Amino acid sequence: MEESRHVTGVGLRRPQPKERELLCAEAIRPSVHEGQLGYLLRIRLPSYRSLPLSCIERIEVKIDGRGVDPEGMRLFLGGHSHRLDELASLSKIFWWILDHADLFVPWAEPLEQGEHEVAAVMVTVEPYMTGGRFPMYYTSRRRLPVAGED
Amino acid sequence: MESAAAFRVGISFHTFVQDYISFVYSFEDMMEMASVLGRGVEIVGPSNHRGFPEVTDEFERTFKSGVDRYGLIPTCYGSYSDPFMLPDRDLTPAEMYEYLVPQLKGAAKLGFPVVRLQYFSHVIAEKLVALAEKLDLKLGYELHTPLTLESDTVAMLREQIERIGSNRLGLIPDFGIFARSISQHHLDQGRRAGVGEDLIALAQELWATGTSKHDAVEAVQEAGGDERAVSWVNMLWGCFGRSDPAKLVEIRDHIVHCHGKFYSIVDGDEPDLRYEEVVKVLVDIGYTGWVSTEYEGGPTDTFTIAMAHQEMMNRYIRKYAQK
Repeated sequence: MEESRHVTGVGLRRPQPKERELLCAEAIRPSVHEGQLGYLLRIRLPSYRSLPLSCIERIEVKIDGRGVDPEGMRLFLGGHSHRLDELASLSKIFWWILDHADLFVPWAEPLEQGEHEVAAVMVTVEPYMTGGRFPMYYTSRRRLPVAGED
Repeated sequence: MESAAAFRVGISFHTFVQDYISFVYSFEDMMEMASVLGRGVEIVGPSNHRGFPEVTDEFERTFKSGVDRYGLIPTCYGSYSDPFMLPDRDLTPAEMYEYLVPQLKGAAKLGFPVVRLQYFSHVIAEKLVALAEKLDLKLGYELHTPLTLESDTVAMLREQIERIGSNRLGLIPDFGIFARSISQHHLDQGRRAGVGEDLIALAQELWATGTSKHDAVEAVQEAGGDERAVSWVNMLWGCFGRSDPAKLVEIRDHIVHCHGKFYSIVDGDEPDLRYEEVVKVLVDIGYTGWVSTEYEGGPTDTFTIAMAHQEMMNRYIRKYAQK
């Protein structure tokens, strides 16, 4: 086999990267923000490096196919909550590449126990490409359980 | 034994980035691996430390204690200009300088002798050189594809370096500019994105005949390539440069560091990059700085492939340094 001449190391015995995408595997957690019922989704920055929040152009979420109102969404990072429409102005706040964030999504009716189909999109600008400024799309879709209320 | 006059090979933590951002290797793990990967350490600012663009006192202690424990040598700090970080306009030169000041100060605080600059920062070169004087740093523009040695941009950067005339400002060639062919990994990326074999063969032919990116994109579109094919071609023309290693002679006085970019090792060699020629020229011109092993291929055992790259480098250094 051609393949065997390549240096590939110890193959499956090496440590395997944990799944890394925008939506983390953590359960959907019920929450309240400024009197509004909703849920928290754990997310990570889908880049290889920290980025200022001003590089996030857009975040979209659907639960069971139904879109979430972006006006009510909040990004919780390092103990602060940010409206999505203010991210563009936050060029001094960096999202450290190894930190997760929580996304609050307003959702009035309680989700049934069990798994739900969550789909998310984040659009960023990788702010230094030699070719200039262009958007990068990261999509993520997973079935996530609802955490028990305790 | 390596010749005392030859350059040395260390490790860029960019090699491990996929494992690092998915919690396979910690920063501490990378420092430990560096101790058996040539001991020279290059880090990527916004990837490897919290608090970027500042370097915190906490990270300074973490880094320096690792350097002490593992006997490491800081070689190069990867800074960023990030000209497109604001949504509505590009950074002004004053804002870019303000962004780079803490990065240069941080690099000096960590004990790095060299800072990698993205070429965008050429608009503030004079101010950066003045700061580098104070901090006792050398700065180098990274020459990453499409910035080949033959490109107009590199001609402009060389002219500026000559004009400023300070040994604080130089160049950091990335060996991805010395390609002889496109790697199997990158061809497979096209296949996975649904690009047909006819278009893959066409792109290889266009690349091998030195077609510009603009003309290559047009040719691929005319042959029926869709958006994904075009995006794949753009990526190829941004990774694989066709510089002649012999041209390194022309920038011999300005090389402050090198990025040993590679995509695979087959039968002990990098099949797609002209490594033997590059090492021979670096030895011939008396380069005595560092080359950082910098893997950027598909998922693999990054530690093992970094070792293989360094074995190849050191084999060529022995071959040409002792003749």
